[in-house]
Amino acid sequence: MSAKRLIGFIFVLILLSVFGAFGLMSLILLWANANYGLAIILGILLVSIAFVLINPKGYPYRYMIPAMILLFILTIYPMYYTLKTAFTNFGTGHLFTRPQVVQKLLSDYYYIPENPEEYSFSIFVKLEDYKPTDNFIVVFKSLSDDELFIAPKPIAVQKDSEGNILLAESRMFSVKNDRATVNGVTYQLVRSSQDGSILSVSANGERYMYFYSPDDNTTKSNAPFYLSEIRGIWLKNAEFTNPMGQQVRLNPNRLYTDFATSERKYEIKVVTSIESGRAVQKNVVYNKKTGGVLIERDGYFYDIDDKGQEFAVEGYISNIGFKNFMKMFKDPRISGPFVKIFVWTFTWAALSVLFTFTIGLILALVLNDRKLKGTKIYRTLLIIPWAIPAFISVLVWKNGMFNETYGIINRFIVMGLFGAEEPIKWLSDAFWAKVAVLLVNTWLGFPYMMTITLGALQSIPDELYEAASIDGATGFQRFRKITFPLLMIAVAPLLVGSFSFNFNNFVGIYLLTGGGPAIPGSSTPAGATDILISYTYKLAFEGRGQDFGFASAISILIFVIVGGLSWLNFKLSGAFEEVNR
Amino acid sequence: MKKLALVLMVVFAVVSLLSAKVVVWSSENQIPALQKLAADFERDYGIEVEIQQVNFGDIKSKFLTAAPAGEGPDIIVGAHDWVGELAANGLLEPIPFLPDANQYYEVALNAFSYGGKLYGVPYTIESIGIIYNKDLVEDAPKTIDELEQMAMEVADDEIVGFVYDAGNFYFSFPFIAGYGGYIFKDTESGLDVNDIGLNNEGAIKGVSLIKKWFDEGLIPQGANYNLMDSLFKDGLAAFIVNGPWATPHYRDAGIDYGIIPFSEIELEPGVTPKPFVGVQGFMINAKSKNKIEAIEFAVNYIGSFDGQYGMFVGERRGTVRKDVFDFISKDAGPELYDVLQFSKSASVGTPMPNVPEMASVWGAMGDALGIVINDQDTVENALNSAVEKIKTAIGE
Repeated sequence: MSAKRLIGFIFVLILLSVFGAFGLMSLILLWANANYGLAIILGILLVSIAFVLINPKGYPYRYMIPAMILLFILTIYPMYYTLKTAFTNFGTGHLFTRPQVVQKLLSDYYYIPENPEEYSFSIFVKLEDYKPTDNFIVVFKSLSDDELFIAPKPIAVQKDSEGNILLAESRMFSVKNDRATVNGVTYQLVRSSQDGSILSVSANGERYMYFYSPDDNTTKSNAPFYLSEIRGIWLKNAEFTNPMGQQVRLNPNRLYTDFATSERKYEIKVVTSIESGRAVQKNVVYNKKTGGVLIERDGYFYDIDDKGQEFAVEGYISNIGFKNFMKMFKDPRISGPFVKIFVWTFTWAALSVLFTFTIGLILALVLNDRKLKGTKIYRTLLIIPWAIPAFISVLVWKNGMFNETYGIINRFIVMGLFGAEEPIKWLSDAFWAKVAVLLVNTWLGFPYMMTITLGALQSIPDELYEAASIDGATGFQRFRKITFPLLMIAVAPLLVGSFSFNFNNFVGIYLLTGGGPAIPGSSTPAGATDILISYTYKLAFEGRGQDFGFASAISILIFVIVGGLSWLNFKLSGAFEEVNR
Repeated sequence: MKKLALVLMVVFAVVSLLSAKVVVWSSENQIPALQKLAADFERDYGIEVEIQQVNFGDIKSKFLTAAPAGEGPDIIVGAHDWVGELAANGLLEPIPFLPDANQYYEVALNAFSYGGKLYGVPYTIESIGIIYNKDLVEDAPKTIDELEQMAMEVADDEIVGFVYDAGNFYFSFPFIAGYGGYIFKDTESGLDVNDIGLNNEGAIKGVSLIKKWFDEGLIPQGANYNLMDSLFKDGLAAFIVNGPWATPHYRDAGIDYGIIPFSEIELEPGVTPKPFVGVQGFMINAKSKNKIEAIEFAVNYIGSFDGQYGMFVGERRGTVRKDVFDFISKDAGPELYDVLQFSKSASVGTPMPNVPEMASVWGAMGDALGIVINDQDTVENALNSAVEKIKTAIGE
């Protein structure tokens, strides 16, 4: 190995280890966030990158790796994720995982009992160079009997990944004769000789100065320090235990200006139940206030309120097996109109391809005529429908062209030119709405067909036509025997692509008719022009919020249908064989 | 070594500053008022409030993505009808206590309540009304019958007497609810989504009225929002139904318009149309690490008289506090005409249901209105199948 290569190798190694370190860190983070799928993929990628760069045998794959990364991130992973989601109830009400929800039930649900013991409080801090520190103690005063308590600074018992305190604990000790003993240390209150207010607390030779109380306006200037350093960090998630053993927290009902006894609403307990003759130990969440165990059903925790009615507390993501897929076939509101919508989707896609291709082909043939002057201008003009964003032109069609009373088509063409008595109900009659969507889609799609056909026409050699004209072929014969077959070799795969595109052309339908007009008397949201994708959009997102699980299941079904059709199409048209030859 | 310590100190200082910061996602209009409140909050509490501008249309979807991952802002501004979805997802923190709650309009607090809890501090209220062109119509009608008559008189080949987006449930709801139709029954513990009143006697009466307008040719077939908007801007429509977002454009177009609040026009003696009331307000992220600070900022700063008044000055939209309303209406000039008229309209309205189940109502009722307007089925049948659609969509 030459010195130059060695240096190169070391350089690659350093780069790789830096890259690997970052990769590993992301991997750990992903794993910690329970994003196992992505973590595994990242792991595989890291290993393969290392392999390719270090092993000389991997040299040819060097340029494949970036493509592979993109393939994984943009295609394989979304597919995996969709597949995974299709078997869950992920959607509105089910955004978190079960452990996250249990955690939330245990830590976020508090209630203040009806007659809580409330405490006003003052904060005493230790000063250092006349500046406050976050070494503080709290003096509580019971609102019911003026009894005093002292609590040392709480101890953080739970922190999140960023170091924020999630739970801090401390105990309250009764003050008798201005003295309290805390863990063998005696705290002595020092009172003002004038009005008897507490000036400071001394303990073990340390002095805590009176600093802040929400009831005392003279300490208002200390509020920023109290709020950001003491309450913001220590007190807001602190739990004090009073001598009676009750939990005392900041009182939300007084906007955190005093403390009150509070209770955790939910706790976990273990219950033993007999399942198929065996004793099974189970962790269940129960309501401390009512004593009732939360019912888990359909991915929700249900609790029972005062009137004995069940209500959903929190929902979580759970695997529901093939339920989403079964729903498509078993639920009559989905399977009912399915055949009708499927037939229309097929018709819509096929007719869209047929119309756009026919018009595109005719225009391309005209533009390809050498005798025609100014082809560039025509071509530019004809491409305009394609160049304008569909969002805009579809709305122009909807409001400007098809409006029943004011639309240009009805006003000037149907009634003006042809003198029809009745306007055509373009968007509110089932048949005419179908005509309208096809018309607009043809308008939007023909320039694409024209462009690809023009390109394909250029590739047909002139010699063929010369030979044909020597043999005395007519123009139509030449088109039928030479132009069209040769054209199809290049264009057929694109037609199949266009079919699949229109099969899923959500925007085309949704912007113009929104799937409407509605079918009178139907109890499903299916409209006359709904195609599979727009119908399923309604089912998944216009019911009870969002239903990503169901939407994923349907998109898998659509993928299977479109994939199957495309495969069949390729087979039948023999497009691959022709191209390969 | 000392240098290193200094650098570390700076890093720590920055980190500690970062940890105690309340982040608000707000759309453009409220920003100046919020910034002033943020400065007050920082002065009083030593905690920074950062106002980040997010397009109103993006706030909900971005929040739905960011909040579950624990990365969302502490406070968002939003519409009350997001509450159901966000709360059902466990992303909203209830407001435990609202000082001056009695100063707020009940409709605004109701709008932000879900399952018996308050989930936001409202700040603005809006609803629609009837807008008329004063060049075409002399006096504001007092009843719907009068409106029909006046519209008929003024209509000719070019001018349309009455036009609005009737196929859109939002704009047709006032006439349906006025006669007693309702979407979900309002109960103590929130809306009962199993009790749907969209095919009751009142709803049928309301939709029949709308159908009559089309049958008599009062409203042209194919009427929609864009058509109504452009006809009115061109001075070619006498009466329309629209909201406060549209009037500045009409003023710019040089139209001398008047606003008839729904509270001042009668369907029958003593019965007025009841529009949807939309309320906007500030909501707290349940996954925020600064919940307490965020609640305090929302409740005591944004929700205070000064905060709400500042918000009003910045936006000139209907306020939710009675004392602010009294204060501004006391010496209201002509520039506050729109706000006051639409506020009056809101006073007879009902909040748009904030439950996630509402998603299915829009489509189903839009379909029903379309069928009725196009005379494809009777009002009863259309409404019955709409209710059927809603029930199948939400019943699982």
